[in-house]
Amino acid sequence: MSDAHPHTGPTGEEPAPPPAPQPFGPEVSQPSAALPTGVPRQRLHPLTPLLESFRFFAAVLAAAGIQVFTSRNFVFPIILAVVAAVAGGVASLIALQYRGFVIWGRELHIFGGVFTRSHRTVPLDRLQSVDLARPLRARLFGLAQLNIEVAGGDGTDARLAYLKVDRALGLRAELLAIAGRPVTPTAAPVAAAGSEAPVEEAAGPAPMVPPIPVRKLALASLLEALPVQVTALVLLGTAFAVTGAIFGFSTVATTLWVGFFAPALLGYLQSTVSAVNKFLRNCRFRLARDGGSLLIERGLTDTSHETVPVDRVTAVCFDEPVLWRSRGWRRVEVWTAAVAQQGGAGLARSTTMLPVGEPDQVALVAAEAVPELASRFEVRLPPRRARWRMPLRWKKTGAILEEQVFVVRNGLLVNTYTALPYARIQSVRVVQGPLQRLQGLASVYAMTAGGVGNVATARHREAHEAVAMAAELRRRADAAAALETPRLA
Amino acid sequence: MWDLWPEDLEWQPMSRRLRTVWVLRSLLNVLILAVVAAVPLTIWLGWDGLLWALGGYVVLAGLRVLTVTRLVATWGYAEREEDLLVRHGLLTRRLSIVPYGRIQLIDLSAGPIERMFGLTTVQVRTAALGSTTEVPGLDPPVASALRDRLAVRAAEVREGL
Repeated sequence: MSDAHPHTGPTGEEPAPPPAPQPFGPEVSQPSAALPTGVPRQRLHPLTPLLESFRFFAAVLAAAGIQVFTSRNFVFPIILAVVAAVAGGVASLIALQYRGFVIWGRELHIFGGVFTRSHRTVPLDRLQSVDLARPLRARLFGLAQLNIEVAGGDGTDARLAYLKVDRALGLRAELLAIAGRPVTPTAAPVAAAGSEAPVEEAAGPAPMVPPIPVRKLALASLLEALPVQVTALVLLGTAFAVTGAIFGFSTVATTLWVGFFAPALLGYLQSTVSAVNKFLRNCRFRLARDGGSLLIERGLTDTSHETVPVDRVTAVCFDEPVLWRSRGWRRVEVWTAAVAQQGGAGLARSTTMLPVGEPDQVALVAAEAVPELASRFEVRLPPRRARWRMPLRWKKTGAILEEQVFVVRNGLLVNTYTALPYARIQSVRVVQGPLQRLQGLASVYAMTAGGVGNVATARHREAHEAVAMAAELRRRADAAAALETPRLA
Repeated sequence: MWDLWPEDLEWQPMSRRLRTVWVLRSLLNVLILAVVAAVPLTIWLGWDGLLWALGGYVVLAGLRVLTVTRLVATWGYAEREEDLLVRHGLLTRRLSIVPYGRIQLIDLSAGPIERMFGLTTVQVRTAALGSTTEVPGLDPPVASALRDRLAVRAAEVREGL
């Protein structure tokens, strides 16, 4: 950060700047010690504590309902409801006094907590993105939350919840403006319009790809999930039949069986739920370009807005589930340097840019994410003697050094081409396992900034080719990085 | 695998004392194993069990010392114009290449046994999670000199994320 303690008087005498009508110069930037005791805090929406403790209220409701249902006792639930309402209301009023935020110069301060006070300072210079998210419970009341991402790993992101949608959008524009990445004027109205109608096709930067019909998306999700589902069901069914044939289908045996296979069942259920969730999240997908960043808007039940600055894209992935191939469909995802996406670190290691698309749409989106990026690549297969190590995948594996990107291909059920611009490669690693050494093979790993999974892997190359590839990757990475101006986070 | 690198590299070896430290450490680990195994063996075979444990210890320790000695010899690092190369591994061979421009943090650390023998480990981190590169067992002056060189080069050629 810039200047430390330039003219720090007692805090009270410092005239408070108005909450950021426009970007301030860096000289206004104050050390956080001299901060906002005197400045009025901006409040969050009064319903916030209520929404945050919605689980508690749901539990109370459920308890009351059960009481009514089982014992026909109407007095107890009424008392319970009244007590909960009074307690909740009082707690909310108290909590609201301590919660809020202040924009002070180039910093955003977020306050919270009744018993344990918290005060988080977000340096807006390092702002990566401000995403607008609308969980279902907030949407019921026309509210939204802002997820603020700062450069760096997990735990550094901040959250402002909940605000009225138009206020949240205004605040987002303000924060981005202070960070020096103003939203273009065309985008602001979108933002404002977004509050009422979820469907506004005309407003804002024009979407780059036509909206994906729900039917197509549903079909695509189904086709993607089908191989996994079929395999899982066949495996579980076989296991059931085999155990049944051996032990008989008595109740005890079945119970034991369920107990024994519970983990597998749970995993299966989880994958099903996540497939459905993915479908719901990708409904009403909209991708638009706004200056140097790509805006993504999506979600059926939980609407979310994401911003991907193009110069933060570290890799582009083209996914092709097995059953999509005959239709020529592919999915485009990007890796970015920011780890802390919504839903926890590490989980979301990539951002979807196109849930499913025809070849021309895929090409368009790819070129938008990384300038002049092709969408089709001819990769070179690993040597034939590596085939027995991955009999099914061998034909679908490969790597190539392209003009501006390093491309690797991996995966059986979902075949993925990962294109890594040379300038984004952090470090390179060559690993040779014992078996590989006997065969004269080696694997190359190219790592990018961000999560643990953001590694492009070229498996089972010829050993000398792998080492030469690593050397060449390093040479090209330096050449590419020298061309661009240093971009410190 | 490492001699396949297209250019000539000057691999710097680790300190000679690293072998001593690692041999000691593995002897200690095997000893703990032997002591743990000695209890059931003694219950099972009577006092002969102790002899068995001792014999097992000697054999295992001998094997371990042999592998550790060979393992230490595989460690090496080379500084090039733009990047740092680190190689190691006996069964699984690894070659890590860290460009100076991408270095985010440089740590020096020394464990208790390492400190007794006056050794230091240099750790280099980049913005990629899980890509920590280690150069273990350097003499403290060599380690801090390496750290300083890396830091200077990292400041000179700053590259983005």
